[in-house]
Amino acid sequence: MKSLSLRMTPEVTVLLVLAIAGGLGVLFIDALVAPPKLLFGRSLTAITPSLFPVIILSTMTALSILALILLRGTAGADRDAALTHGEWRRGFIFFAIMTFYALVMEPFGFLISSIIAMTLLSLQMGNRSVWQIALLSCASPILLYLAATRLLAVSLPELNIIELAYARLLGE
Amino acid sequence: MIEQFFEGFGMALRVDTFVMMSLGLFGGMLVGALPGFTTLMAMAILLPISFFLDPIVGIPFLLGIYKGGIFGGSIPAILISMPGTGAAVATSRDGYKLTQQGKSRKALDMALFASVFGDTSSDIFTILMIFPIAFLVMQFGPPELFAVLLMSLVIIAATSGNNPLKALVMMMLGLWLSFIGTDPLGGVERFTFGLFDLKSGIPLLPMLIGVFAIPEVAAVVMRNEKTRQLSALMGERLSRAEFQRCLPTICRSTVIGTAIGIVPGLGQVVAAMMGYSAAKNASSHPETFGEGELEGVAAAEAANNAVNGPTMVPLLTLGIPGDNVTAILLGAFVAQGLRPGPQLFEEQGPIVFAILIAMVFCNLLFLVIGYLSIPFFSRLVTIKVSVLIPLVIVFAFAGAYVFRSDTVDLLMLVGFGLFGILAKIARFDVMPMVMGFILGPEMEYAFGQTVAMANGDAFSFFLTERHGAFGVLVATPIFGFLLWRRMQKVTG
Repeated sequence: MKSLSLRMTPEVTVLLVLAIAGGLGVLFIDALVAPPKLLFGRSLTAITPSLFPVIILSTMTALSILALILLRGTAGADRDAALTHGEWRRGFIFFAIMTFYALVMEPFGFLISSIIAMTLLSLQMGNRSVWQIALLSCASPILLYLAATRLLAVSLPELNIIELAYARLLGE
Repeated sequence: MIEQFFEGFGMALRVDTFVMMSLGLFGGMLVGALPGFTTLMAMAILLPISFFLDPIVGIPFLLGIYKGGIFGGSIPAILISMPGTGAAVATSRDGYKLTQQGKSRKALDMALFASVFGDTSSDIFTILMIFPIAFLVMQFGPPELFAVLLMSLVIIAATSGNNPLKALVMMMLGLWLSFIGTDPLGGVERFTFGLFDLKSGIPLLPMLIGVFAIPEVAAVVMRNEKTRQLSALMGERLSRAEFQRCLPTICRSTVIGTAIGIVPGLGQVVAAMMGYSAAKNASSHPETFGEGELEGVAAAEAANNAVNGPTMVPLLTLGIPGDNVTAILLGAFVAQGLRPGPQLFEEQGPIVFAILIAMVFCNLLFLVIGYLSIPFFSRLVTIKVSVLIPLVIVFAFAGAYVFRSDTVDLLMLVGFGLFGILAKIARFDVMPMVMGFILGPEMEYAFGQTVAMANGDAFSFFLTERHGAFGVLVATPIFGFLLWRRMQKVTG
């Protein structure tokens, strides 16, 4: 006989979050979806803008609950190869570096932020060769920057002073 | 159609197309040969480059990465028994045994020849079949389109992983995410929470790079992978007699892979497994399979590469990406202003043919580049991960940024990356989510038009006026269930 309890594994957590989010979405649909546009008091479309989302959110909630019911008693420790403390730590640091990179790209510019991010990632991956890190972190962003701006003719965020130097270097 | 074919043939003969295809093949093989790195990741990261090229150059460039990457994945599978992709699992069974027997060169040659044969044959089949299928699809109205889109989503869920219920939940999540922004029918805002950045919806590119590339990089970082030892590339090259002995197996696997490629969601893993099983069943010496049998390598490689061409059929005719790689290709098509669907053949027939013909040329380049560069790529399996990871991340960020030049996209990239790794830990497949996200607006549009046509009584409308669509709707759960059962059998 299946146990009635559910162990809080990542799988169960995701399903619970989605079931709750879907349920809340249906409950507050009027606040989340703007009212339909009317022309002479009549809607412009055959279905309201909230109809399809309500169907999908209700189905998502129902399926998540069904999946949770079917998981009862089977979500034991043996089902999940749990991550070690070290793996969680490395994952956390990795995402912290990426978030930092995303946040500083505009204020610091592509070159400086990339040099910092590449240095941090190289260190995290266990590279201890100063020359290798310096070469990799400086050369690759510069090459990528030149390739993007010159070959693909697209802009990457950059500090004014660097853009000025770059423009002078290219004689523009 | 014949004029369009010849016009497309002429368009495909551009020098820059060949140059970019060669670069794509080289890049694909390079990434595929790196253990822990996959074709999908390479395509997601290099996708933005294609936006700045002509469609006849940019899309073949991505196809080059795709084809090169699948073969590249067989290099670590054969040399160090580490399949880079699910498609290379069957290859590694016999490939690594051959390496242990000192015949790694033969195994790699066989993988290359079988891949090129399977891929070229299936591409020719695609060119022959795609226009008749597109003509059939042109007869579809909104109800039929809605029914086919629903069926595709159910098939993708049924063939995704062990738990179709979880896949359906992810699909619903993808559909929900597709609602964020402006409603495709009435033009009103939905789920934007008043945020300006969400008004135009979630951009596809940060999502693709985030859920496909970042989790793979994160997995390498979390496992703290370093470099591996490589036994030298050994033995003689493949002989003509050995290739001829394997030819019937290659042909059988090509047929299997081609048939599987047409059905959305099945993909290369199923094709490789089925091709391998069929070869073993048909063999007069099945006991040699798994012990270093060249036919095993040929069967798996021909089947998984034969999927490549036919996956373009649902993509180009209906706009339904059959797998995650074609989802990325769909992104490239849309960014180039080419909206896949039957109208694409009416409006841009020569371009479609040019891309399909370029796929065949790509295989010829693949044969030459692959043959000459196997020794080089074999060395790559030992490259330091600490050098690669920072490079991949900077590429991913630059790629996500350049499309809209908006730093919000970078935060979305990190967010989707985090979601991707959490989904991986919780064993949820993100592929149905991406499919739901891509097909959501079109599905809602078709649904809205169907409701308008039905005048509120959809059931009678389907039953009395739209028999084809009704049949597809009824067959969807049955077909989905049967495919799920089949998948369970094949993947063991």
